[in-house]
Amino acid sequence: MSEEKVEYAKPLPDFRPETKPFWEGTKQHKLLLPKCKETGKVFFYPRAISPFPGSVNMDFDWVESTGKGKVWTYSVHYMGPTKAYKGETYVVAIIELEDGVKMMSNVVDCDPESVTIGMEVEVVFEDATEEVTFAKFKPVQ
Amino acid sequence: MSAQIPNIEDTRELLKKNQIGIVGVGETEQGKIPGKSSFHFLSEASKLAIEDAGLNKADVDGVITAFSLVEETFMHCTTFADYIGINPKYFESVAIGGATAVWMTAAAAMAINSGQAEVVLCVRGDNTLSGISSTGMIALIREMCHGEFEYPFGLTTPGGYALMAQRYLHESKGKREHLAAVAATMRQHAQLKENAMNKDDLTIDDIMGARLLASPLTKFDCSIISDGGAAFIVTTAAKAKELGLKKDPIYLHGMGQGFSHQYLTSCEDLDQIYGAIQKSGDKAFKTAGMSNQNVDITFLYDCFTITTLLELEGLGIVPRGQAGAAALEGRLHKDADIPLNTNGGLLSQAHLGAMHHVVEAVLQLRGEAGDRQVKDPNVALVHGNGGIVSAHSTILLGNEPLS
Repeated sequence: MSEEKVEYAKPLPDFRPETKPFWEGTKQHKLLLPKCKETGKVFFYPRAISPFPGSVNMDFDWVESTGKGKVWTYSVHYMGPTKAYKGETYVVAIIELEDGVKMMSNVVDCDPESVTIGMEVEVVFEDATEEVTFAKFKPVQ
Repeated sequence: MSAQIPNIEDTRELLKKNQIGIVGVGETEQGKIPGKSSFHFLSEASKLAIEDAGLNKADVDGVITAFSLVEETFMHCTTFADYIGINPKYFESVAIGGATAVWMTAAAAMAINSGQAEVVLCVRGDNTLSGISSTGMIALIREMCHGEFEYPFGLTTPGGYALMAQRYLHESKGKREHLAAVAATMRQHAQLKENAMNKDDLTIDDIMGARLLASPLTKFDCSIISDGGAAFIVTTAAKAKELGLKKDPIYLHGMGQGFSHQYLTSCEDLDQIYGAIQKSGDKAFKTAGMSNQNVDITFLYDCFTITTLLELEGLGIVPRGQAGAAALEGRLHKDADIPLNTNGGLLSQAHLGAMHHVVEAVLQLRGEAGDRQVKDPNVALVHGNGGIVSAHSTILLGNEPLS
């Protein structure tokens, strides 16, 4: 007997077309970061134009992150933004990646209340729907 | 001599020459008030400010509004001008979140300085508590963060501020009591404000014992949601005299803005936030020819307890990392050395951006604050903050003209 597929009820990303390579990457369980071809620096969040001072470059490479980083800050959420979170306790965190950028995500696979600033984490991929895979983080064992 | 690029000195000279100030203020009842629309509150607040000034509605030739979270309109200022029956020479909707009310004053001054209008009505009102739908509330939460790279991780609005609060406590070796002390002081002030929404006793222990919403914040660290309106009228001393207005102007001495980030993901570190707050304050101080030592009463954007601490430090009122201890020592109380938000703030009076902060600053400088009156203040600072400590605006107000 096949397992019944539960529909993903939490918010999904509002895609902008220019971020497609990022989401194509996560689908393949790769964390890809945009790298400005003019300044040679990676940045996050993905967008259509380089955010670096003086640069109006719109041409990027996509480089694979090491997926390792540290918790820069976090908040244990005891109440979520929609009904789909009812009864859940989860950690929203800003992760400082080794690559030099910050990204927001969840810290998973641990007791939410055990998370601390500076905790070392690594990426894990969570397939939410056929289209969307999230890059989340778990403590490094 | 070649043409000079306009700078802050020019602004200062214009403010000095034109003696721009607030001549009327109005606040409606605040709280849960079903049965009144957003435009009803805008109208009622406008009426109160016009009457407080002793002005004729027909003499208003500028209208600055903000936005509504309930009745979303594409052209908010002109929608309201039509509704109230004013045909303005100058109209603008300021929409920079919590930085809005403070910047309305500056925008009115800039419009007057450039000859676009003489008497500007600045007004905000909304039935946020009674009128917002659950989908509207979710849309608002989503609006506060990046819809693609933040919101899908379940970030809430308190959660965004909680992320900053957690980092602040980490860096300053602060305690949750420091945050709670801000909320407790705001409650003491609200108990003295007639139209404040939340007046029940609230102690630091009550807050520490409350359930966490998003660590390290409880519901008492979050501002309230309320219905209500507030307005103020900006003009020149000469025009006020010509129209025979009742109240002496409370003069605008300086203004400034500072930007840090829109999304928390783009925030490098706390220095970036402190820098934006400082830039906003410095521009206002420089225009006014003052420093924070000249400020007698302070109004800071307390949408969450953490913002107050960051702003106290960013503006240099308290050394970095020490605002929490100052709050816990009671120094933010109206009778202490840093009287803050004597109206009870967004945490306990009502939430309409910083509209009530501007109104209360005027009442304090006029000496009309009743039981909340701080002894003889001459200069007030009002700071607004939009987004999650993202966009900042500061004004300095005084009861004497800029000299």
